[in-house]
Amino acid sequence: MATFEILAVLLGFLALALFLGHRKHLKPAIPASLTFLASLTAMASLILTWGHNFHWQTQAPFLLGVFPLTFEVDGLTRLYLLLLSTLICAVSVFSPGYISHIAAKTHAGQYWFCFWLFIVSMYAVVSSADAITFLVVWELMSLASIALVATDHSHQSVQKSAFIYLGATRVASAFLAGGFLWMHSVTGSWSFHDWRFDVESTYIPAFLILIGFCIKSGIWPFHIWLPYAHPSAPASVSAIMSGFMIKVSVYALIRILVFGALNSLWIIAIAFALAVISTFWGVLFALVQNDLKKLLAYSSIENIGLVVMAIALSLYARAHSLPTIADLAIIAAVFHSWNHGLLKCLLFLSTGAVDAQAHTRDLRSLGGLAKRMPWTMAFFFTGSFAICSIPPLNGFSSKWLLYESFFQNILLSPTAIEKGLSLAVICLLSAVGALAIAVFVKAMGVGFLGVARSKTAQRAQEAGLGVLVAQAALVILCVASGANSEFVSRLIAQSLTSSGLKVSYTISNGLPTGTVAILLSILAASIYVIFLKTSKVTRYRTWDCGFGSLTEKTQVSADSFAQPLARIFRPFLRYQNSAKFEGADRRHFPEEVTVETQIISILEKRVYLPALALFGGLAKLLSRLQAGSIHLYLLYVCATLCLLLILGMTL
Amino acid sequence: MTALLHWLTFLLSIIFIPVLTLGTIRKTKARLQNRIGPPICQPIYDLVKLARKGETISSTMSGLFRLSSLFVFADILVLAWLTPWLCFKPWAPHSNIFMVVYLFAFARMFTLLGSLDSGSAFGAFSASREATLSLLVEPAVLLALVALGIFFGSSDLRVIFSHTTNQTFIGSAIWIAAGLAIFFSSLVELSRMPVDDPTTHLELTMIHEAMILEASGRNLALIEFAHALKMSIFFGLASQCFLRAFPQFSTFNVYSQSGLNIVGILGLALFVGLLESLIVKLQWRKVPEFIAYILSLSLIASLAAIGAGVIK
Repeated sequence: MATFEILAVLLGFLALALFLGHRKHLKPAIPASLTFLASLTAMASLILTWGHNFHWQTQAPFLLGVFPLTFEVDGLTRLYLLLLSTLICAVSVFSPGYISHIAAKTHAGQYWFCFWLFIVSMYAVVSSADAITFLVVWELMSLASIALVATDHSHQSVQKSAFIYLGATRVASAFLAGGFLWMHSVTGSWSFHDWRFDVESTYIPAFLILIGFCIKSGIWPFHIWLPYAHPSAPASVSAIMSGFMIKVSVYALIRILVFGALNSLWIIAIAFALAVISTFWGVLFALVQNDLKKLLAYSSIENIGLVVMAIALSLYARAHSLPTIADLAIIAAVFHSWNHGLLKCLLFLSTGAVDAQAHTRDLRSLGGLAKRMPWTMAFFFTGSFAICSIPPLNGFSSKWLLYESFFQNILLSPTAIEKGLSLAVICLLSAVGALAIAVFVKAMGVGFLGVARSKTAQRAQEAGLGVLVAQAALVILCVASGANSEFVSRLIAQSLTSSGLKVSYTISNGLPTGTVAILLSILAASIYVIFLKTSKVTRYRTWDCGFGSLTEKTQVSADSFAQPLARIFRPFLRYQNSAKFEGADRRHFPEEVTVETQIISILEKRVYLPALALFGGLAKLLSRLQAGSIHLYLLYVCATLCLLLILGMTL
Repeated sequence: MTALLHWLTFLLSIIFIPVLTLGTIRKTKARLQNRIGPPICQPIYDLVKLARKGETISSTMSGLFRLSSLFVFADILVLAWLTPWLCFKPWAPHSNIFMVVYLFAFARMFTLLGSLDSGSAFGAFSASREATLSLLVEPAVLLALVALGIFFGSSDLRVIFSHTTNQTFIGSAIWIAAGLAIFFSSLVELSRMPVDDPTTHLELTMIHEAMILEASGRNLALIEFAHALKMSIFFGLASQCFLRAFPQFSTFNVYSQSGLNIVGILGLALFVGLLESLIVKLQWRKVPEFIAYILSLSLIASLAAIGAGVIK
């Protein structure tokens, strides 16, 4: 039944998309409410059919060549589809209030057409059961998201981002196609169920598949498209892209490699190393960003790194028959991708609200929004606290599972090297956690607190009702899944088991996040009522050492807040900070002070640009073949014919 | 009835031990400077005085500022209940190492935000310094606790701090190393010498005091008390580590254990007073080096714990 309903919903989407697609101006409330209804239906049908697995394939006329399109919904799929439906619900409530902000620059019909295509293809990717179906809908998803990134394509920067993203998806698809074809030749089947990665002949395709998904999910060193694509796309799109699309790769990694019981230590080690670097790299670069969306994009890299790290640990533990650790780690992976989906969607929506109201996302011209947009601030702050994994919110629950699985690995794994490595990872995770706090305190403190740094930020007003409701719903989900972490962990274990991977949640005395949440709120509320509320408050200006009033320029800037930390990591960041003082008596009374901060992305400059240049050069060489002369082409035809004839004779 | 008594003693120690700790530090410093100094209970009079005053807050501030001190206070109270910094305590749930460390981060995050709310550069730059230090010191604290966790095979602090079988030499060594690491990190976490001088009143170099520069009245009382309580929690953990390094300690009954524990906390406070009188503040750029020593102490403890596990 559910499959039928989902199908009906999806077809409905497509029909609507075709119907409305050509309109340039469209009241956003109509398509948004349709999207909302559709995702609500999908959510309801997913919940109502809880515990039932479905398998469905297209019948005779709707084939892809000779292959039927095969779809399957089981426990794991359901979890991810539920996340997707939730996010789409939130985004569709958010959209009407936000779209007006970008309406002048976009073609509404095209936007919604691509948006629907994107949603439908994501539903399809997650529920596809064989490699061919997967690749087809995967491509559809990639292309739709590229079109969405290029929504505001009149800007050159947006064009550039769309191209970079396009390139990344092409390379990813090439790796995936290679890996899938290879696996087919090894196993003779397209179905993911038949793919096992426990013999040596399957290691190379496993590696190709891993790299393909790493590119699409933004793992270091393939992450460079993410900080371009997210800031260019509208907030509603980047919320879904960061919230769900990059998790599709994580889902596929779990579905293909973890369910396929990959046991090559080398591949696991590579995945692990890349994930560790990503977590560190992501948070480090997030620290020095001034564009809020870019900052969030880098933070996504960090979090995807955490998820892939958990997957790699789970694979390792399963290969070494340490089932408790394997189970904990895979639950951590699924839970964290859930949490990160909710959180990132929330943070991107809040940033979108700020962008729409203050007309900028640049931390250097924000500030002082606390009084003008108190609700948006509250939502953004909750999201930031959660993503810094502060208990009792949900970000902590999943990160704790990760910590705990590494801790158990220290206790249980047989050799000292692995114990030491786990210890190092715990150390690194805590440093990354502290860095994340610095990143988000910078975003919150400079973005929302203090005095407005620009006229536009000064004129900002609270966002509309829909925009706020969408964020509030996500906040409630974050708090709820954080406080009931035990329940969610068990649910994930159960879903994974029903999908065919035996997982049990074995922690006897879990986290008291619920108790802590209740206690914290009771304590805070009672102290407020008893102690703080009755206090007499006088307003006066900020302490300025008696020098006169402070201006927005005398506040800390985003750069200067991050400077001490950036200095520590200079070698990684290529961080340069130069100051120039001009004027006659420049030591004491400089007339002009110029400070410049510069960060060079080594990866882009030293690796990707030369590689692209090489490619360009090769392409130029090849283009000589295409000289535009009919004589030359006739010669090619003749030469090919001769070659084929000779080949035919010799074979 | 006993449960009620436990709660009562616990409440009393939450109120009085922080005050005594702070008082001891001040008294020691005063005596070393040839002053008589305020009575040892002076902090409590200060708090009462602050609670009776009105608040003056900056007109730039949003409501967040007052909430931040509230949440810091509530969070530290929860921590005082969760962490086994005292040898006796009423019923408390599972107190996980990672949870405790991240609950401290919760308090820190609110302190940082509170300092940024006024738009004052003093607060903001001290927040930036605090964020930098916390990056360095958080792994040290976590690893010190993890070392103990590895040795006793549990991530529950209550299990670790109520262990009775600890007769080996390496066990004592790990307790001492972890205790030292926790104690020295607490100096960083609490912004005390040699990292930060809490009594200079020079806003340009301070960390914690500059962050709370704008707080006054009841708000300040909450922050000050939370800070003192945090100090007692850290000192309590450290003193227990040192005490448990002696194998005999676990054979004592709970009263003498608690007595020794409190004496240990006050002893550490005495030591801090001594330290603050005798040494000078480190140059800001030297601080990471100091923390690196703490981190290596925790690393040594963890590696020793791993080694002990492998031998077993």
